Amino acid sequence: MNDTASHAHGRIAAGRRWLADYLGLGLALALLVLVFSLSTRHFFSLTTFQTIANQIPSAILIATGMTYVLLIAGIDLSVGSVLGLCTAVVGVGLAQGHWPAPLAILAGLAAGLAAGAFNGLVSIRWNLPPFIVTLGMLEIARGGAHFLTRSQTQYVGSALAPIVETHLLGLSLPFLLALAVVLGSQWILTRTVFGRYLVAIGTNEEAVRLSGIDPRPIKIAVYLYSGLLVALAAVIDTARFESANPNAGSGFELQAIAAVVIGGTSLMGGRGSVVSSFFGVLIIAVLNTGLAAVGARDETKRLVTGLVIVAAVIVDQYRHRWSQTKP
Amino acid sequence: MPGMTRPADTPLLLRTAGLTKDYATRVLDSVDLEILEGEVHALVGENGAGKSTLARILAGLIRPDAGHIELAGEPYAPSGKRQAEAQGVRMVMQELNVIGRLTVAESIFFGHLPHRWGAIDYPGLHRAARPLMDQVGLSDVAPDRPLETLGVGRQQMVEIAAALSRQCRLLILDEPTAALTAPEIERLFDQIRRLGQQGVSFLYISHRMEEIQRISDRISVLRDGRLLTTRGAAGFGLDEVVRLMVGRPLEETRLAASRPPNGPALRVDGLAAPPALRHASFELRFGEILGLAGLMGAGRTEMLRAIFGADRRAAGRICLRGSSAPARIDHPRDAVRQGIALLTEDRKAQGLLLPLSVLANVTLNHLRPFCRAGGRIQAAAERRAVEQWLDQLGVRCRSPLQPVAELSGGNQQKVLMARWLHRNCDILLLDEPTRGIDVGARFEIHRLLRQGADQGRAILMASSDLRELLGVCDRIGVMSAGRWVATFDRNTCSQDDLLHAALSGYTRTHP
Amino acid sequence: MTIRISGLGGASLPRLAGGAILAAVWILASGCQPAGPSERAEPKPRVALIMKSLANEFFLTMENGARAHQRAHADQYDLLANGIKDELDVSKQIDLVEQMIAQKVDAIVIAPADSKALVAVAKKAQDAGIAVVNIDNQFDAQVLADKQARIPFVGPDNRKGARRVGEHLAKHLRSGDAVAILEGAPNAFNGIQRRLGFEDAMKAAGMNIISSQSGYWETDKANQVVAALAGEHPELKAVLCANDSMALGAVAALRAAGKAGQVRVVGYDNISAVQNLLREGRILATADQHADQLAVFGIEYALEMLRTRGTPADRETPVDLVTAPGPSPQP
Repeated sequence: MNDTASHAHGRIAAGRRWLADYLGLGLALALLVLVFSLSTRHFFSLTTFQTIANQIPSAILIATGMTYVLLIAGIDLSVGSVLGLCTAVVGVGLAQGHWPAPLAILAGLAAGLAAGAFNGLVSIRWNLPPFIVTLGMLEIARGGAHFLTRSQTQYVGSALAPIVETHLLGLSLPFLLALAVVLGSQWILTRTVFGRYLVAIGTNEEAVRLSGIDPRPIKIAVYLYSGLLVALAAVIDTARFESANPNAGSGFELQAIAAVVIGGTSLMGGRGSVVSSFFGVLIIAVLNTGLAAVGARDETKRLVTGLVIVAAVIVDQYRHRWSQTKP
Repeated sequence: MPGMTRPADTPLLLRTAGLTKDYATRVLDSVDLEILEGEVHALVGENGAGKSTLARILAGLIRPDAGHIELAGEPYAPSGKRQAEAQGVRMVMQELNVIGRLTVAESIFFGHLPHRWGAIDYPGLHRAARPLMDQVGLSDVAPDRPLETLGVGRQQMVEIAAALSRQCRLLILDEPTAALTAPEIERLFDQIRRLGQQGVSFLYISHRMEEIQRISDRISVLRDGRLLTTRGAAGFGLDEVVRLMVGRPLEETRLAASRPPNGPALRVDGLAAPPALRHASFELRFGEILGLAGLMGAGRTEMLRAIFGADRRAAGRICLRGSSAPARIDHPRDAVRQGIALLTEDRKAQGLLLPLSVLANVTLNHLRPFCRAGGRIQAAAERRAVEQWLDQLGVRCRSPLQPVAELSGGNQQKVLMARWLHRNCDILLLDEPTRGIDVGARFEIHRLLRQGADQGRAILMASSDLRELLGVCDRIGVMSAGRWVATFDRNTCSQDDLLHAALSGYTRTHP
Repeated sequence: MTIRISGLGGASLPRLAGGAILAAVWILASGCQPAGPSERAEPKPRVALIMKSLANEFFLTMENGARAHQRAHADQYDLLANGIKDELDVSKQIDLVEQMIAQKVDAIVIAPADSKALVAVAKKAQDAGIAVVNIDNQFDAQVLADKQARIPFVGPDNRKGARRVGEHLAKHLRSGDAVAILEGAPNAFNGIQRRLGFEDAMKAAGMNIISSQSGYWETDKANQVVAALAGEHPELKAVLCANDSMALGAVAALRAAGKAGQVRVVGYDNISAVQNLLREGRILATADQHADQLAVFGIEYALEMLRTRGTPADRETPVDLVTAPGPSPQP
């Protein structure tokens, strides 16, 4: 084996993969921005992008957790309901309990972690498919949200305002937090032992077990992380809307999965990237904002969004093949 | 070279001319092959020589880039598996394409089940399956028995019956005996001979030279995509076939220990994990290779998994390194921490992370040496270590970043061995370490094992190939019907002794 | 032997858990069951209230109002209140009506999840001699005519209510100003009525409706739409929301866009969470349909029908315009 050649080859392959991963998504995003800029008056402006940046932090956080979950060949259908539950905890704490904001936030985060712990522990202890366990959690958490709020939207006023009103370089604190989570999670995924284990478990869990690594704590950690990120998203949404609606987050699980899949993460596990999921969220957000700015009819919106999801996955198939071909 | 040993009176069934196929490199290079009616035509060559590609072209699974094929004088260019089967060419795959829950009769007729308005006609199906099953020696099996309840050998017979359910002129068998025990192989050979007399031709692909010599009429040797020669099997010596395949003569296959074994590594007392494993007691010492023989289903895999903590044990003690206190092994994690490694029988499903790089596969369970603060992996150090192992074990790959799926079977097995050596394991449990691996690589792995033992490691190696065990191991244990029944010294035992011991559990009744 | 026990324990734990869940469900279900057989002997009429989504604050308020009313008039009737999980689960609601028919209740007060799909089963109830009153979401007139059914509707005129909210908003705008409408779920009858009411008012005042999109009744979706509109249409002066949850999302979007105070927001329903926003003027107006009384109106009407044995005409219930924090609609 020629050493320098193999090094060069490795670099080329890595570069190719990087290109395939991010260039395609970037181009798709640019294309969408271009289409909407041409078809509306004000779309292409700083305000629009600031607006989008303000709206997507919670979607980014949820998609990041979902990426980890899909990477280990799991699934978390409960994210939307858990967001509702955490929102309810924060909202009831502030509006009914008159708790100080930090306490309410901590309680919300604890609720998210508890939901994640339930998902992880139950599916591992009784060896149940995560699809079933998180489907159960979907109902449990939504029920909990309605139980806590007695189905009434809780008005929290400006108690959490500092979270959304703090800005740095024109970007809101939640957006910066979400960005940090994305970069941190991607770093963990590609550079650390934990990340290596995630990919390995998603690829072949039995092989990992038989190599002497216990996959169970790692899987539990992933569901905990997903729960924590959902809770963070819930705190941000509560702050943005100044209110806690027990129905908040319904349907988020499918949106998150769509964003992650658009980013090219495999539902079969073992392949995925947090940064790509971030792009997936951006694409969906630009699509939503653009279609709303155009004033598209509701059926058009759904049609276009659905087509984009399917098209993205088809393109990803080719993209993946291209990056795998031997140069 | 072609046709020179063709008996003048036997009609030609199939002829290829200039058959060529390119992937990244040339895999088949203008191959001219002739198969006669009713003959068993063996195709030998190292892995990657092009045997499977040739077989897959004939079976209609892939198309050649150049060249053409004639079947019984007519041009033959199947567009797919179905068309090839319609013209009487059928392949029994290396990895059984057995569909789990089907019954025997259903799998024989799968794809063309007799039906009436969409509902399967079961009485008709079972009537039609009966003669086919009798033909391949499955007369004692009920047609509605679930396929998964049969042993691997009999599942193979079902596959052959499936091939016969359509008028078959050429049956391609790719490593048919890889999963079979000796009596099952005998039964398979009987069927092949009988069908041959009825005019069915066989293209028989295998690594097992002695079997090829026994069963085949003619032998074709492929090397690097070229057909080197086709000759009558009689008078075509084993050594010469192997020399042609690898391009160099093989050394003596018996590897002797360079020094006597050291202290005890592993003592197993009364290990049981019913129903497959009933009772096993033995001792393994550092510096020796202990072989493990037995028929399919004798409990060898189950015993190795039980020692390793992969499956639950019902009873028994495992003591390590001469200690008299039993070791606690409840999970593979515990075993590995105490220096035990298990190379699984099915390396693709239970060992490798196929789409991931060679590098990630080697270091999977021992990233600690490259670990910096926060769990960060130091990429350069990891790569250096992996390159050292690849070099030391002679793994052939383009780069440590190449997906391990692209490597040949032998190199994949070496990658797994590198994983365990990197993890500093010195008690190695190996389950069929050379299954599906070509002759050259097989020998290299044997040498690595011997080297490992000489360096003081303890090796327990299960294999279905008695010659391999006799050639490599210092002692050989035999399991039969879930029990460890005998242990032999290799210098004082023969294949017959091992076979007798392996059968003993099925003739005697245990309390 | 020990092995057996541990194996058994491992296998039966999930079964135990399953059993515990079943038991819990049974206890909860039996706790919710209607009056026992001894009470059934009394001649009190039994009224079934069949609601839409109990996950929705609006319907929950309705149901609570009905329960309070029943407690105050326990001598007059028994109440069986049932709801479905979400507003789209039409088939579940049909099942509920059929169960009530089988239970031989005296009257059914129903807020249909679908204005067409529920007509047939409501007619079936009527044919079985049950007094049926339609509340909240009015049955489709065409389908009623096809089935030759006459089912009285008791409820607010959403279109009229929305028009009053719109007319109040118009006083704060100038003719020709750009306004946007946030609709409810596109297939909901009351959503459509409210949109029509908003449109009536805006057209009458000469406003320019630049966009009318669905926010699916949800805060989050409304937020996205309004944020996009605020960017695309800097001339926007007001957003009319078909419910208050969407108004919350609109307020948040305008604040984030730095347009708080420049763009007026109106809502509908007068939920508790908007009281402070009304007081601060961040929501200009909303409409109160007296949600807690809606079901009660229906029940009283059904009792009246049982007494008179006639099929009276529709009855309209009051809608009030709320411009400053009024009395809390729900304790």
